[in-house]
Amino acid sequence: MSETQALGASPTATPGAGPTRATVRTPAPQSGFAPWKDPSKSPIVRFENIVKRFGDFVAVKECTLDIYEREFFALLGPSGCGKTTLLRMLAGFEKPTSGRILVAGEDITELAPYERPVNMMFQSYALFPHMTVEQNIGFGLKQEGMPKDAIAARVEEAMAMLELSRFGKRKPHQLSGGQQQRVALARAIAKKPRIVLLDEPLGALDKRLRQQAQFELMRIQETTGTTFIIVTHDQEEAMTVSSRIAVMDHGQFMQVATPGDIYEAPNSRYVANFIGDVNLFEGKVVRVADGFVEIDWGPGLARFKSVAPEGCVADQQIWLALRPEKVRIAFEKPSEASNAVPGKVVDVGYLGSISHYHVELANGQRVRALRANSARTVARTINWEDSVWLEWPPETGIVLTR
Amino acid sequence: MRRWLLISVPYLWLLVFFLVPFFIVFKISLSDIATAIPPYTPTFDWSQGLSGIGTFLSQLDFENYFFIFEDPLYLNAYWSALTIAAISTFLTLLIAYPIAYGMARAPKEWQPTLVMLVILPFWTSFLIRVYAWIGILKKEGLLNLFLMNLGIISEPLTILNTTTAVYIGIVYSYLPFMILPLYASLEKINPSLLEAAEDLGSPPWKAFWQVTFPLSIPGVLAGCFLVFIPATGEFVIPDLLGGSDTLMIGKTLWNEFFNNRDWPVSSAVAVVLLLVLVVPIVLFQRNQEKQREAGR
Repeated sequence: MSETQALGASPTATPGAGPTRATVRTPAPQSGFAPWKDPSKSPIVRFENIVKRFGDFVAVKECTLDIYEREFFALLGPSGCGKTTLLRMLAGFEKPTSGRILVAGEDITELAPYERPVNMMFQSYALFPHMTVEQNIGFGLKQEGMPKDAIAARVEEAMAMLELSRFGKRKPHQLSGGQQQRVALARAIAKKPRIVLLDEPLGALDKRLRQQAQFELMRIQETTGTTFIIVTHDQEEAMTVSSRIAVMDHGQFMQVATPGDIYEAPNSRYVANFIGDVNLFEGKVVRVADGFVEIDWGPGLARFKSVAPEGCVADQQIWLALRPEKVRIAFEKPSEASNAVPGKVVDVGYLGSISHYHVELANGQRVRALRANSARTVARTINWEDSVWLEWPPETGIVLTR
Repeated sequence: MRRWLLISVPYLWLLVFFLVPFFIVFKISLSDIATAIPPYTPTFDWSQGLSGIGTFLSQLDFENYFFIFEDPLYLNAYWSALTIAAISTFLTLLIAYPIAYGMARAPKEWQPTLVMLVILPFWTSFLIRVYAWIGILKKEGLLNLFLMNLGIISEPLTILNTTTAVYIGIVYSYLPFMILPLYASLEKINPSLLEAAEDLGSPPWKAFWQVTFPLSIPGVLAGCFLVFIPATGEFVIPDLLGGSDTLMIGKTLWNEFFNNRDWPVSSAVAVVLLLVLVVPIVLFQRNQEKQREAGR
């Protein structure tokens, strides 16, 4: 993933900035694209206090969310978190127990699926087995009563966009998994809907094909200028494709932010753990001063200093989250670093471009550190049983209160 | 060697239980009626050895076949049997489709029970079930009593001993043979296909004809053949429920065999019936084959 290098160069936290600070990374093709920050823009999709119950089970709890035109929005979470239910409510396959869904300001809560300006790409692709690729892609257009030659032209266009032109006369079962996936996508965009919904669209593909397909999704989304909403449980996929991510758990949004913010400024232990690797230190606030907080994380251990989150008070229980790539590992005690802990290397994983280190601290806690192998030969490599120092500046850790 | 043995078992079965009886019937159909036991001639005389085969074969002819094609009774009976079978097949399909559809859409945990209910009638003798319909359909039967008590009719309807009763009997008796293949093909349809159709702008009733029905055609064909083929040769139902004007080839065959004791002609009737049904049987086989390929 390109994440680490982009982050390495990032201007991290300025003192006093809360989790809302503008950070780091917007996806390259859309730099400067942030309609959610523009109060003059109105959302294309609005979920308003959506609740969905299945019997006693609450699948979605009071969710409110705005999604803007041309966004590639990801609903991310473990299975059973309510992300698919939310998508299916937008498609019209489920009715919310309470709340409203608006598309471009219009209440669509009571509309049937066939009346909604959205098209969905199904996890199972749901290609019609008795129809050819062309018939599948043209199915939606035929329902609109479009003339035959216009349908043919639109189908041709969609097939060209997804490199399917050679397969037009084939039936779905004569195609490979990757080709079927592209037919499903072509069918979902053929009607030029305002919103395309993608339900785990790449779940059935193997890893290499999946990465290709992710970039293809981004290309299609960009060229068509359509709003895409994707449901996925794969955090890497969500980070790669989306403009914003809503991290969900137990039917609630844990955080809604850009991939960069989600990674660099998670608002909870749940989000920090769900996206990428993280080291967590549990501790207590000793005092807050000048936008920094002093953390006591155990008797007899050097206190940590970190940027204080908003509303942080003394004696509060907090967690310090630290990404492995932000931890520097060295033999000598760093002189001016604010945070430094000694430890012993218990595990080394050499992956070529980077190395993983597991370091055990005096209190038994293990910390993961990551180092890019930028030099070809090093005077002394860090090895098992080596005594080392871990060090990070106060700006790189994230203080979490929940 | 062992493989050869294994393969030969079904062929042996077919030879003993299908081909041999068929050739016996075919041989009788080429004979002449006689007042004897068995009631036809010639019979094969083993004592004359090889030369006997020659005389035996020379006495066989196709006279009976010419006879059944000359007498309009037989042709009418064939035609009427095919018509009755075709109409009842269609009626069975109309009734079975919604039932099978409902079963396929029922909660997964109910489905085995529903299938069980469909095949439950097989636990009672077919003959007894058809007899039971006499009790329902006769003038002072349950159906007439029920309708008269409701005040829908004032005079009892004459249903028993008419062709209508035959339709009712066939539809009732063969319903499971239609429901089961229909259910099997409907149950295989991924529900997300219908969601996809709706999502792409097709209302549910349109989606049924665009997606559900085309995908259930193998089941429709299998069910129709499974009803049409045996219904054409049906004997018990027209005999018990039908009237004197209900003409079906199965009944004609039976009369020819047991009342007239004309074994050669009835054998010829049976052979022709088999030839008539070979066409739908072959079509049925081909449908099954195609379905198996699509399933792969």
